Amino acid sequence: MGWLRNPWVHRVLGLALGGIFLYAAADKILNPQSLVTIIWGYRILPPGPINLMAIYMPWLEVLIGLALVTGYKRRAGAIWGTGLLTLFTVALLINAVRGLNVACGCFSTSAQDVHNAWMLVLRDLPMLLAAAILAFAPPRHGEVPRPTGPTVTRR
Amino acid sequence: MRREGLRDLLLFPVLTLILGTAANFIPGRQLPFWGQGHVPPAEGTDFRWLDVLSADALATSLPNVVFLDTRAQETFTASRIPNARPLPLPDVDRLLTPELENLLRHADAVILYGDGDEADVEQLLAQTLRLRGFAPPFILVGGFPAWQLAGLPVEGGA
Repeated sequence: MGWLRNPWVHRVLGLALGGIFLYAAADKILNPQSLVTIIWGYRILPPGPINLMAIYMPWLEVLIGLALVTGYKRRAGAIWGTGLLTLFTVALLINAVRGLNVACGCFSTSAQDVHNAWMLVLRDLPMLLAAAILAFAPPRHGEVPRPTGPTVTRR
Repeated sequence: MRREGLRDLLLFPVLTLILGTAANFIPGRQLPFWGQGHVPPAEGTDFRWLDVLSADALATSLPNVVFLDTRAQETFTASRIPNARPLPLPDVDRLLTPELENLLRHADAVILYGDGDEADVEQLLAQTLRLRGFAPPFILVGGFPAWQLAGLPVEGGA
């Protein structure tokens, strides 16, 4: 399992997962009001904190996405990403067990975008795994790819 | 090293708080930070539930019962409750014509139905209609599948 700590694996996973986080955040940031109804549709939170989640969660997704894509604070971003994806998966799982199919709000804030909750859980699992690898299997020291660029030689 | 990691972790919620709060002051996209504001639809205020047999009884005993179908256009065309009108949530502005508005205002009962048990879309549509000045409509429990399952008449498939 040493390959999990290969820096290139981290780079590729970071780009892919970070891209997904940024894409997922875009519609939520543009339509916070619609996000409120999506969060309400999960029927987990009481009305009070629903707005707080709609206000802040998309920005956390943006920061996680940026960290994963750029590699700046990637591990911290991955830890938060793991937490957020765990939260999403548990929320979907609760509704799947209840037998409710929800508009997940994963990539769109349309309430009409309803999917089978079990399928959504399955879709989240690979992303959760990727985030967990980035968070808990940090790249080996000495193997971090160095930025390429002109070589400066001292005279 | 551990302290640095903790600092990195704390950076995320701090920046999230700053960005989220700042963005929430942009006009047109503001939400109250807590509680009331964009209120989710509520039974009683925005809609009332109605089971299929009661809906059928209403439709046969009252002259002006309007069924609104919230499903996608193709699904609606394929099969629907007789005389239902299509009104998917994203198309409300386009489909809620003055003629339909007039029909809804003079209806004895308005019944919304979709294709799922949860009826989230129907609840949101009911709230939209209520906010536009219409009486709170009924929502068909179980939607179109329940209507079919009860062996009640359907039309479509042209």
